[in-house]
Amino acid sequence: MGNDLSSSPSPLASAVISFQDAVKNYGRAKTIGPVNLDVKKGEVLGFLGPNGSGKTTCIRMMLGLIRPSTGKVLVNGLNPISNHVNSLRNVAYSPELPNIQTFLTPSELLSLVLHELHFSGSDRQAEVRRVLELVGLTNYADTKVGKLSKGMVQRLSVAQALIGSPEVLVLDEPMIGLDPAGSSHFRELFRQFSKEHNGTVFMSSHIMGEVESLCTSVALIHNGRIVFRGTINEVIRNTLEFTAIVVESSPLSEVALSKIRALDGVSEVQIGQAKNGNTLTETEIIVRSEQSSELRSIISQLIVNSGAKLYTIKQAENLLERAYIEALKGNDGKKREDNLQ
Amino acid sequence: MSRIDVISSFARYEMRRAIARRKVLILVGFTILLCTLPYYGLSRIAYRIPAPDYPYIWVTVISFVGPLFLNFTAVLIAAGAMSEEYEQGTAELLLSKPVNRSDYFIGKFLGGYLLFLAILGLDVFLSVASAYATFGVQLSLGLLPGFILAQSFASLLFYSLAFMLGELMRRSSLAYIFSSALFFSSFITNIYLELIYTLTGNGFYRTVQMYLPTSPADSLAQQYILSRLPSTILFVLRLVGAGETVASSANFNIALILVYTSIGLLIAAVYFTYSDISRKVS
Repeated sequence: MGNDLSSSPSPLASAVISFQDAVKNYGRAKTIGPVNLDVKKGEVLGFLGPNGSGKTTCIRMMLGLIRPSTGKVLVNGLNPISNHVNSLRNVAYSPELPNIQTFLTPSELLSLVLHELHFSGSDRQAEVRRVLELVGLTNYADTKVGKLSKGMVQRLSVAQALIGSPEVLVLDEPMIGLDPAGSSHFRELFRQFSKEHNGTVFMSSHIMGEVESLCTSVALIHNGRIVFRGTINEVIRNTLEFTAIVVESSPLSEVALSKIRALDGVSEVQIGQAKNGNTLTETEIIVRSEQSSELRSIISQLIVNSGAKLYTIKQAENLLERAYIEALKGNDGKKREDNLQ
Repeated sequence: MSRIDVISSFARYEMRRAIARRKVLILVGFTILLCTLPYYGLSRIAYRIPAPDYPYIWVTVISFVGPLFLNFTAVLIAAGAMSEEYEQGTAELLLSKPVNRSDYFIGKFLGGYLLFLAILGLDVFLSVASAYATFGVQLSLGLLPGFILAQSFASLLFYSLAFMLGELMRRSSLAYIFSSALFFSSFITNIYLELIYTLTGNGFYRTVQMYLPTSPADSLAQQYILSRLPSTILFVLRLVGAGETVASSANFNIALILVYTSIGLLIAAVYFTYSDISRKVS
């Protein structure tokens, strides 16, 4: 798994964002919550959930745009409704495909945001240039937003969040509309934000690969409630009850496969289709053990000793997606059972 | 950076936003037509106008057609100030920043109002210029600052009510419909009540008429200007309907404008402060 970022923050660190039994009632038709969720400083949290599960409602409560019907939401320890300015002083939000006035240019929008942030002095132009360069919009600084492509508007959305050096980034589907190079660039940008500035990232996304590669932890919301909160490994282990190791090698002998099957923790070995004219085989090894990283080195040694050529060995990348789907299924099942009882 | 800077940046933003909408350009077009064509028309029948009235001809459009058009202009600008932001989903981004909601509210209110003042300035300038071009040198132009002040204050009434309806409706089409309905129903009711009063002599109808929002909004600036013109220019005075307006005092009109404006602003501010910021609604 590509969790390049530092591990979970210290439990002593205070919560930057805290949902305390927060409920948003939209009338009889729909209720979101009660939501209980703490996000610590330096944490990079992936906020996952199907459409209509309450992700955006939570984000909007966090930003003081809507008030909880009951319970409370605190940002930097303060209520973002009653103490909007102080609670959100270091918080920036990048909405999904934002609605920006089309008559504005990126420079003008960023200048307006700097005014909102009380960013003073002659540094304003320099800050606008810095952020435009950061998101790759320097050449479009004076182009009207109405003439920008979807991807560029998304870049602008991130730019207006990064301006003024915030400490907390709230990102709603930040990679939507971006080309692969843009996604990769932004991933790196958010990593740097987290690593170099100990910044906190709260990212809502449907792209599991992005979450898996960027986030240190996830919170899964379903039908308005947080159904899981923990590290990515925890969500995979608790939901799938296994992890998987993917091996790309020359075809493995039966002896080697038997030895792998016999390893403590290995529960299943699935041999995939041969590729490249039978010179390369992808094998998925299901592991029900805490020590999957140790197993990886044992398995690689075993394959090399068997005389096969080992090209790659890594943890399967789509496990979070599988876990996510399983978790949602499980939650629906639990709900059905509850209803029956 | 003070809060005043933030408010002024929102005000500038609102002015640009409103200008970017075509309706303001249409309003400017109407202003140009309204402030030039009537003078051209009057010049065609100049032989029927007594010569001593020529230097005061600028008063005609400014004090007769002007208030009605300007108040409706105020309605059109104010109704969209808040509602269009919700409709387009642009309020969300601006209000997710660490900014006081009140700064945004005041900035939007002032931005639209400054734009209205610019149209008022254009209206006055074009009227006087057209009068000068068609009837020669104009007199008593020293009344203009007072007129502008009175009209800007009077237009606050419908501006605030339309601003309030824009905030409450949060849909520009509804906001325009309700504010225009309020404006025109008040205007038409005013005419009917005047007629009924003339026919019946019943003071009740006149009293009701005095409290309608149109009465102070339309008559304050006119009251100011007509009371200061020489009484000998009968043609001009007759043309602008001097003496036909509601018989309420200027102080009463000022008080009524203050009351209506305060109510509109208060309701809008309370609703804006305590309600959720809706997402894109259209």
